[in-house]
Amino acid sequence: MSAVFKFADVQGNIVRGYRHKPRVRHLVLEIIDRIAARRWLAACASGGDDVPRITTGDWREVEPVTCFNIGLTYEGLRALGTPDSSLETFPIEFVEGMNARALKLGDVGESAPETWPAPFNDPKRIHIVATIYAHKIAQLNQVQHQALADGKALRLLGAPPDGCSFPHDLVHFGYRDNITQPRLEGVHEADRYADGQPRAPLGTVLLGYPTNFEGLMWRVPKLLGHNGTFNAFRVLKQDVAGFEAYLDTAAQDLLNQATVAELLPLGADAVGRGLSSHAALREVVAANMCGRWRRNGTPLALSPDTPNPSPAVHLTDFDYVGDSRCPYGAHIRRCNPRGGHIVQRVANNSRRLVRRGVPYGPPYDRAQHRDPNQAEPERGLLGNFIGASLGAQFEAMSCDWLNLGLQDPRITGSNDPIVGANDSLTGWFDLPLKSGKTIRLRGFPRFVQTRGGAYTFLPSLEAIRFLGSLKN
Amino acid sequence: MADSSEARRLVDAIIANLPDPTPGLRPVHTIGVGVDGYFMASDVARTYCIAEHFKGQRIKVSVRFSNGIGSPFQHDGWGDVRGMATRFHLPDGTATDLIATTLGEFFVRNVEDFFEFAKVAKLEPYGRRSPWLKIWDMLQLKLPPPRDPYPNETENVNAGALRYANGHRFAQLGVVQAAVIGAPVSYARASYHAVHTFIVTDPNGVRRPVRFSWQPVAGVRNTDTKVVPRDKYLREELEDRLQRWPARFMLMMTIGEAGDALDDPTQPWPAMRNRVVMGTLTLIKVAEDQAADGERISFNPCRLSPGIEASGDPILKARKGAYEVSREMRGGCPFRWS
Amino acid sequence: MPGDEGWFDRFVNGLQESDVFKRLASLVLVPFWAWRMPVKPLPGGPRPSTQPGDNLQCMMNLIMPLKIKSPIGRAEAAKAIAENKDAIFAGLNNVGTVHFARFVIVGDNICMFSVYDGDFTNYIRDFIATIGGVFNAVVELAEGGEKVIPCECHVEAFIEWVRARDLYQVPDTITDFLRDQEALNGDKAIPGNDDLSLLPRKLILQLRANANVSLGSGYRAYPGFSVAQVRKRLGIGW
Repeated sequence: MSAVFKFADVQGNIVRGYRHKPRVRHLVLEIIDRIAARRWLAACASGGDDVPRITTGDWREVEPVTCFNIGLTYEGLRALGTPDSSLETFPIEFVEGMNARALKLGDVGESAPETWPAPFNDPKRIHIVATIYAHKIAQLNQVQHQALADGKALRLLGAPPDGCSFPHDLVHFGYRDNITQPRLEGVHEADRYADGQPRAPLGTVLLGYPTNFEGLMWRVPKLLGHNGTFNAFRVLKQDVAGFEAYLDTAAQDLLNQATVAELLPLGADAVGRGLSSHAALREVVAANMCGRWRRNGTPLALSPDTPNPSPAVHLTDFDYVGDSRCPYGAHIRRCNPRGGHIVQRVANNSRRLVRRGVPYGPPYDRAQHRDPNQAEPERGLLGNFIGASLGAQFEAMSCDWLNLGLQDPRITGSNDPIVGANDSLTGWFDLPLKSGKTIRLRGFPRFVQTRGGAYTFLPSLEAIRFLGSLKN
Repeated sequence: MADSSEARRLVDAIIANLPDPTPGLRPVHTIGVGVDGYFMASDVARTYCIAEHFKGQRIKVSVRFSNGIGSPFQHDGWGDVRGMATRFHLPDGTATDLIATTLGEFFVRNVEDFFEFAKVAKLEPYGRRSPWLKIWDMLQLKLPPPRDPYPNETENVNAGALRYANGHRFAQLGVVQAAVIGAPVSYARASYHAVHTFIVTDPNGVRRPVRFSWQPVAGVRNTDTKVVPRDKYLREELEDRLQRWPARFMLMMTIGEAGDALDDPTQPWPAMRNRVVMGTLTLIKVAEDQAADGERISFNPCRLSPGIEASGDPILKARKGAYEVSREMRGGCPFRWS
Repeated sequence: MPGDEGWFDRFVNGLQESDVFKRLASLVLVPFWAWRMPVKPLPGGPRPSTQPGDNLQCMMNLIMPLKIKSPIGRAEAAKAIAENKDAIFAGLNNVGTVHFARFVIVGDNICMFSVYDGDFTNYIRDFIATIGGVFNAVVELAEGGEKVIPCECHVEAFIEWVRARDLYQVPDTITDFLRDQEALNGDKAIPGNDDLSLLPRKLILQLRANANVSLGSGYRAYPGFSVAQVRKRLGIGW
């Protein structure tokens, strides 16, 4: 593959998904002593001294056994003694930190930073978020032990639960994740990974390269920015029991509506062999809220009536132009409207993100009998949303598209049905019918709560070496 | 019926703080005038609320305007909250009430707050502030200094209310607004707010939290504060006005969003909320039988018809019982609840 | 009782209303109290909120003092806008979230007043992408503007520069103004000890720190609807 940049200079988690390593651990670290921490960084970058080696994007022929990457918060850069001339050039959202940006991200009520458990309730002390990907838990432990062996450099503040991928890229709620990622110019060959979208300029995901906006470049932080990027790390708790219960209620309500036959134009069997109408409607509601059918990820844009169309359809080679029966308010359409008609005409394809998410917590089994007095175990997604500009990509998507729905007048005033800041009294979502009419769903609570997170900077290898070499 | 002992204590607490409590009369909003009129819903009202009076027919209405002060002595020109209580007489013989005042936000959140307020904001002597103290205020840029007392005003609760507001941030808006509320030139030239949140149900079963306000078509106008206030003019003004032409009010309904204070009457809703015109009220004449339509008539903020429900606002709930107790105490006209 | 007030009472009452006192107070008392109780300027723009109604039809009141404070400077600003009218209109159409916008010259300031939907940062950023050239032409004439142009190369700095010149919006309720001041001072003290009689002075001193302000959140005839919603309902395409 041709490349405008050296893969070896970029951290691996930016350009690779580490799909073959199902287990992940995120370590939230505080810098105790800056001299020792700098030594630690230098060693991680160059490989030596028995610390884990930072995984780059260049794997040559041999895939590393475990993958190790780091992200630094603004407080972390300060704690390392980064010169002010560099610190001043970091964007304001990164400087303020995720806790302070709660209103932009919809982190209110039970998702508010005031409710976040340790270590995310003390953001000033969060300096480094290190990720370890591996096959086995023993390997995670081993790398963690290696990373913290030098007790003088870093202190482990805490760690969210370990993540473990489910087979077939499934995540909690039953959807299939990881189907579409931006194909980058200069990284991915033009003909591989067809996804109906133009290739994303490198500046979507790396600082210092042209962005999707004509003529615009994000400011590259001095001394550290080139080939680096920003990451919004989020611990997202998912109320799977509540979601499944809502699907039951919604399906029941729909069965009582006159237009219900229009929702199953090919019959319940087309949705799933042997399914009752109620069960089929549950899947229809779930599919419409996301934009993809559960389990196999068939996009509604290509196959609105059945998850198993014949002939089969491509998972991601589609666009929202013309007669698309993917709801305007569906999750994947809100987050990435592709080439569809949106209010902010210049913003098509400009808020894309590389997403590295792994589920945590035990899978939910609807059939299993549960004790009503016992709380559900916590489950959710450890999300990493990577983009060269937090403000222009992650935040912009969160405040105007995910919540508020400003991009389309048919959804303005409503939030994303799956991850949005919803409220049972006022939330709504429109299900499109084949005839063009819609049925409005109401009464769904907030299904995803934020339980922690941080804005981190993912420096290039050269930048890490520079930080390791700081003197004062 | 709601906790009637608590309701009784509320009414007693109010009466305890009156300068001239007079049995047989309302403890507060004592002075008032009954007016006849009719209400016509707008063409969209029925799409938001299934209540009978929003269906579009002409609905007969009885309104009582009042001065907030609890005293049989009339002082129209004093700065005071005004009340506008409206009874919609529905075609099936029942009725529904909407009670509104010129004070947009209340000064306490719940009943416990109210009892504490009643203890702190007691009647205290109110005299003219010494000119030397006024100069001292001016030097501290506390402009303007507290107003001079009105003619014949010897005591009020201003100092106590201010003390309470200084100690409780939620009360500050209500107290500050009440302090500057002034006197309208006419009952028909003030806007009245129902303060509490109600939940209305539309024909599709969708429930929305809303707040109601009456907006005067003649516009809002207050008297000139530099002129000595007159004691008796509002009723005469209204009689005069209605002889020449009717007085109109628009019923505005603001729709709340998730995150707005639903159950807290001290919190206003932002001006950026969707406002729906629900209809027009036309007042034709001052009621002939003031004893029946001005005095014995009794309203209740929780007397609502199907399609409108009370929110969980604790003050709204408490008013239901308090108004009942007060009505019984003064021999007000009983009414059917349904 | 009125009527028994002495001549001194009447004099003092008249004094507070008189222009002489107000001018004297402005010259002497205001600077004195500003020195004794320093007040930080409050940030501009609408209050952050996650509620949809609060994020639609937001007001921007942008005041940019001109470098050349004379009719020549104003003529240059007028020329910059007039020459770029097509670009400005195309840009506003493409950003898609602006209800109304106008450029106004007041004194030696070039101002832009607009009503827009959604997040302020996104709105300005989308503008930079479509009419960056116009911004460069106008901001070049403004005091301090040379630091942030060309805006395409200083996107983040330009957005912050504009935000710093968007006026503080005094809340609709005066008590919310007190809360704004307290939030700015990081007033985490348990409330219970306020002094409402100081409200007039606090307002005066704040209006010294924020010389230009927007009074209230503004009036809207049809609040709560986005540009595209209005256009769609009216059947004119969006």
